[in-house]
Amino acid sequence: MRRRPNYLAGAASLAWLFIVGLPLYVMLAATVQSRSDYSKGGPLSWPEGFTLDNFTSAFDEGFGEYYLNTVIVTVAVVGIVLLLVPPLAYAIVRSRSKVTSLVFRLFLLGLAIPAQAVIVPMFYLISEAGLYDNLIGVILPTAAFCLPVSALVLSGAMRDISPELFEAMAMDGATPRRMFFQLVLPLSRGGLSTIVVFSALQAWNGFLFPLVLTQSDSTKVITLGLYNFQTEHGINIPGLLAAVVLSMVPVLLVYLFARRALVQGLMGVGGK
Amino acid sequence: MRTRVRFSRVLACGVALAAALTLTACGGNGASAGGDDKIHVLVYGDATNKVEKAVVDKFNKTSKVKVVLDTIPGADYQQKLQTIINTPQAPDVFFNWGGGSIQPFVKADLLLPLDDFIAKDAKLKDAFLPSVFDSAVLDGKAYGVPMRGTQPVLLFHNKKVLADAGVQPPKTWAELLDAVKTLKAKGITPIALGGGDQWPTLMWFEYLYDRIAGPELFKKALSGDKDAWASEDSKKALGMLKELVDAGAFGTNFDSVKFTDQGSPTLLARGKAGFELMGSWEYSTIQDFDKAFAEKSLGYTAFPSVPGGKGDAAALVGNTNNFYSVMKKTKHPEAVAEFLKLMYSDDFVKQQLAIGNLPTTTNTEQYLDTSASPAFSHFQFDLVKKAPTFQLSWDQAYPQSAATPMHQAVQQFVNGRLDADGFIKAMQALPTE
Amino acid sequence: MTTQMTRASAPRTVTGKSSRPARGSAAHVGRPGFAWAVPATLFFALFAIAPLVMVGVLSFMSWNGLSEPEFVGLDNWTRIFDDPVMIQSIWLTLLLTLLGVALQTPLSILLGVWAAGEQRNRAVLSAIYFVPLLLSSTAVSVLWRALLDPNFGVPAQATWLFGDGNLFGKQSTAIGVLAFVSTWQFTPLHTLIYQGAARAIPQVLYQAAEIDGAGRFRQFFHITLPQLRNSIITSMILMVVGGLTTFETVLILTQGGPGTDTTISAYYMYQKAFKSFDFGAGAAIALVLVVAATIISLVVVRLSGYDKMRGTMEGMS
Repeated sequence: MRRRPNYLAGAASLAWLFIVGLPLYVMLAATVQSRSDYSKGGPLSWPEGFTLDNFTSAFDEGFGEYYLNTVIVTVAVVGIVLLLVPPLAYAIVRSRSKVTSLVFRLFLLGLAIPAQAVIVPMFYLISEAGLYDNLIGVILPTAAFCLPVSALVLSGAMRDISPELFEAMAMDGATPRRMFFQLVLPLSRGGLSTIVVFSALQAWNGFLFPLVLTQSDSTKVITLGLYNFQTEHGINIPGLLAAVVLSMVPVLLVYLFARRALVQGLMGVGGK
Repeated sequence: MRTRVRFSRVLACGVALAAALTLTACGGNGASAGGDDKIHVLVYGDATNKVEKAVVDKFNKTSKVKVVLDTIPGADYQQKLQTIINTPQAPDVFFNWGGGSIQPFVKADLLLPLDDFIAKDAKLKDAFLPSVFDSAVLDGKAYGVPMRGTQPVLLFHNKKVLADAGVQPPKTWAELLDAVKTLKAKGITPIALGGGDQWPTLMWFEYLYDRIAGPELFKKALSGDKDAWASEDSKKALGMLKELVDAGAFGTNFDSVKFTDQGSPTLLARGKAGFELMGSWEYSTIQDFDKAFAEKSLGYTAFPSVPGGKGDAAALVGNTNNFYSVMKKTKHPEAVAEFLKLMYSDDFVKQQLAIGNLPTTTNTEQYLDTSASPAFSHFQFDLVKKAPTFQLSWDQAYPQSAATPMHQAVQQFVNGRLDADGFIKAMQALPTE
Repeated sequence: MTTQMTRASAPRTVTGKSSRPARGSAAHVGRPGFAWAVPATLFFALFAIAPLVMVGVLSFMSWNGLSEPEFVGLDNWTRIFDDPVMIQSIWLTLLLTLLGVALQTPLSILLGVWAAGEQRNRAVLSAIYFVPLLLSSTAVSVLWRALLDPNFGVPAQATWLFGDGNLFGKQSTAIGVLAFVSTWQFTPLHTLIYQGAARAIPQVLYQAAEIDGAGRFRQFFHITLPQLRNSIITSMILMVVGGLTTFETVLILTQGGPGTDTTISAYYMYQKAFKSFDFGAGAAIALVLVVAATIISLVVVRLSGYDKMRGTMEGMS
């Protein structure tokens, strides 16, 4: 059955295409121009020349190192989340212990703690522990703040495993450990991929913890590199925008190859 | 109190433990670890860093203890410094503005008095101009060695823009107002102002107050006399500033423009504005992105005189210099002393001059001709030599906690959100200690 | 973004739990003990709960980062509620949050419903729509600060639209920029939520309505909107909590200025703590934020009766 086209929504979508597309065009056009061509033509013109200098000079400014740092942080955060959350979610879903349900409430409460709220004591803790200006000092709190959402998403996924399967395994005398590895983990792959993408995005895009907890170039992550580039050379617009483009390339790749997982990770919800 | 501290120690140990676990879990990643044979030197990140890097490289060639240069971009420097200075990650040596900027650290007993260093090498004191060296002397003890150039605030202009408009660099306030009118009529923003950064706006207040009331008014205010801000002179200065703003001197979008991202100096260099009031670092900033303009078309004068004012027309406002101060807890005081000695070396002086900075060593004068712009260096040097007073920037003279509300009041007066009375109240509310 | 997503799942899983208590009649053997939850709980307690407790303690102390903290009772609390900038920051936070909801909700419902359709070109177009999601808040703010520079960005070339380009120099336009940028950044996320929900609406409902002769608008208001109700609540909680904790955008775009005109509470907290080194006042503001975020989320959930309507949510995936 054919439905009539929805003109209002169609118009809104066209307007949105313009609002999203124009800045993206300006961004891409500016990054392939030299600074002088850009200032002659202005942001809205068709690019006159073509150069990749802006990208290479971003790497000269240290973006290569920032990339590496961000990758380290991201991998470590995902690692910690993968290490801690599946057992936690398993306990939340399957344990009959009263303490576990208390723990679950603790994590629910954790959802209401914005990172900003704890930044002052976090700074104090990290620096007392000798981890200031050290990537580990960024990794630990970033991972901690990924836990509540990850725990909720993954326990949601584990709840959908049919109880009969557990019962069947219990009949065979399986230990909780065996159930975890042979039943729970394989059947919650969807939830696992969601928490991987979610925590990777949190780490990749994190700003506040690196801002307050690091300072030198050797520990700079990409978001901070962008911020510093902006505060120092804010009107070198082609260079600045090239750096912005570079910062999104890895996420774009994930988007192209694992769109579904990315979308679910972004929402941090509905990741069933 | 004690329990709280112990509680957080325990937590910190927990954090360290978690860190150790992470390390083993991910096989040790590339995070940097502070080695023992290093001195960390923290400086304000800007165009002058290339000289600092060169000095560090030179030092590291011969020294067993290596210097690591860390930079923090200008906009965040002061706050980041105070955040880390009482933590285990504090640097060994750090950049500062002397005077009020290090007073809280001296109070908290964090800094190493340099008197021992000076006793071993008198040149650490004698090689510098006394008036400059003294601004980092607190309670009779030296806490800083000058390490950049003196930075008076000057009125810069674009020679070509002024010539095209038939405007002479103004010597008096009235001439400045005339120049503003002429430039505005030509469709050029008369004065570039990085209002988004707020402190460039403050410079106009500092000079007008100094010219009209002399340096005493600010001294009184800083010592806690709130009436100083409500005085006739204070109101007169505000009235004149208002007149300048209302004449369209800064255009209309100055609060969207910044100096720190090179916005306002670019306006000047591209001929979109005629003047900019800025510290002498304007020269090295512009030289960094438009060398030809800095050398040929960048003009400069002292701030115009204000006839009838109590202040001396030769008086200056700005930063006397920047200083390296040393943390008490440094493990390598000898190496630090050696490093500081480079600050009066001939090479260092020449390198600073080459990028347009004016070091304040006694041997500076003999190298003035080797500078990037000998004329500019001579001009500045004479200005500083003749100045009867050199007012430290207000935001450096006040305690750090006053800086944000002070900047906001300044911005709000110029954009019209505060009237003179509102501004006076805001200044009276600033903490003075 | 962090917290914006974070909040989403809370109510949902709460309800998930309450609606399916003590699963099944499984034998008591083979259940994991509490030990499985210990490592994550300790880690979380150390890095989130303990700092939160310390914020509470710190809000009754005076500390400048240099000397030892001193206990000062309620001083910080009376000071922040006497502080006009703090009061203004609460209003600004509410205003920006409401602007965000008002702009993003209708737009993302329209877009989501449209994108849920089946025509082929939609796939391509909606791929472009979602590009802002790939950028971090930092990157988005840096991008827009560059694009909106009065002298070197778009306003210089489009004076007919932007005038003198003083977007960051006036309160009204500075707030406008902040609201617009967060709309630009987050509308795609909400569109995704609505797209998923709209796809799950049974087509039978529309077919029945069509037979009854209901027009497009009637269908939209009588079928689509009611069916999207749960998504609307999810998305609004995301927006409200995200609005309360907006930080990067303000730091990079306006620095709370001009003056204090866009100093929202989260930024004011940062400013108090890390610019004025008044850590006590910063901690007090931080607690206000936590409490506000919790209360608002709870109120929205309760008011909407959201916790009793898990049923329709099941369709969304």
